[in-house]
Amino acid sequence: MGAAIGGIIGVPITAYMLAPVTDEVKFEPVFLGKVDTFPADPSFKPTAATYVEDPNNAATSPGLAFVQNTGKSNTDWLAQDAMFIVFSNRCMHLGCPVAVAQGVGFACPCHGGQYNKEGQRTAGPPIRPLDRFQWEIRNSDELWITQRWSVDFNGDGKVLYFPVKMPGQPVAPPGPSVVADVLYPNVTYDHGAVPQAK
Amino acid sequence: MPIPVPDAKQLVLQTEDWIEYRSGFPTLVRKFLFRKVPPTGWFHTLGSSLLTVFIIQALTGSLLAMSYDPSPNGAYESIRYITDQQTLGWLIRGMHKWGASMMVILLFLHMGRVFFYGAYKYPRELTWLTGSLIFLSTMAMGLTGYLLVWDERAYWASVVAVNINGTAPVLGPFISKFLLAGPVFGAQTISRFYALHMLLIPGLIAGLIFVHLWLVVKLGVTPWPGRPIEHEEAVGD
Repeated sequence: MGAAIGGIIGVPITAYMLAPVTDEVKFEPVFLGKVDTFPADPSFKPTAATYVEDPNNAATSPGLAFVQNTGKSNTDWLAQDAMFIVFSNRCMHLGCPVAVAQGVGFACPCHGGQYNKEGQRTAGPPIRPLDRFQWEIRNSDELWITQRWSVDFNGDGKVLYFPVKMPGQPVAPPGPSVVADVLYPNVTYDHGAVPQAK
Repeated sequence: MPIPVPDAKQLVLQTEDWIEYRSGFPTLVRKFLFRKVPPTGWFHTLGSSLLTVFIIQALTGSLLAMSYDPSPNGAYESIRYITDQQTLGWLIRGMHKWGASMMVILLFLHMGRVFFYGAYKYPRELTWLTGSLIFLSTMAMGLTGYLLVWDERAYWASVVAVNINGTAPVLGPFISKFLLAGPVFGAQTISRFYALHMLLIPGLIAGLIFVHLWLVVKLGVTPWPGRPIEHEEAVGD
């Protein structure tokens, strides 16, 4: 009897508290800017572009992407000669915003993480490269980002894409990647199929 | 014959008797306040200092809650209102802010005193354990309170703190989402932190303090280490 009463009160309370744990969000496509506002630059100088992920919660969902114009012209974001690389500014150590270190890559003010022009870690505590955004050109001259992906590089320097994990969590630690999936399950974004770089 | 008018002292004693007969509270208070204790020093005052700071935090916190708006759009503005415009708001907020640091500092000193006096040993293990829970809860108060200021530092410090939780294997990603009330920092995060900070955790701490104090009274105060214990002060009164 006591157990039944406890259950009637305890189960709803627990479920209410823990419900957000299983939530996943969907990334809604966002307009970043006109294509010609992201000029190519001989040195590494990506352009910062702000966006709001959820217009209903503008105060808590602003984001910043760094758009690097590679000077090439392919509008397929997965191609080797893709026109843009769109980096997330979220440091993969613990989520602070990184800044561009012109000509070098990116640097994080919080704990000194550094990245090269590919977003690969070169120094400090981050455990994986910067996330990237899937992008596309809409209406012939608008750059939109349509999905966020976590990335890593294989031995040949080829980009591998993974479902998004929060900062500080590995996408592919040494050893079988099942470890990454069991120890750090992907619980953030509701994705489609994971893309493959060409 | 005129009715005798009781003097003030009689009146107090009669009222006390009246309450005593119906509740027993005066005896309880007397037993709590007038206990036999071994010779003590300043180090033994750290625990009651902590209790005092906790009460100040609860009071000033309740006052701040009257003007605080736990929403992403209103939090910072309401803090500015409290600090800049409300009568003595700067003082109340300052007391709460500095009291928070003071509570953590006193907690470490109190814990150090208990440790170096060996006061955690038999029969006071449970006192130490409940104290440890109060310690963890106080840390959680510090974490959840930090976000409520809702300025850049508060926001990014909380992002980092949540992501630190996320790096724990297996449970980490879920703990992060529990704290954020969703997969990313959102509108519900601040109200969740607020509810934890001003209702759940303080309630927990108050309950733990009650148990902690009960054990202190029941088991008595630990004397200086190495000091011979006389019989009548060994355990309680």
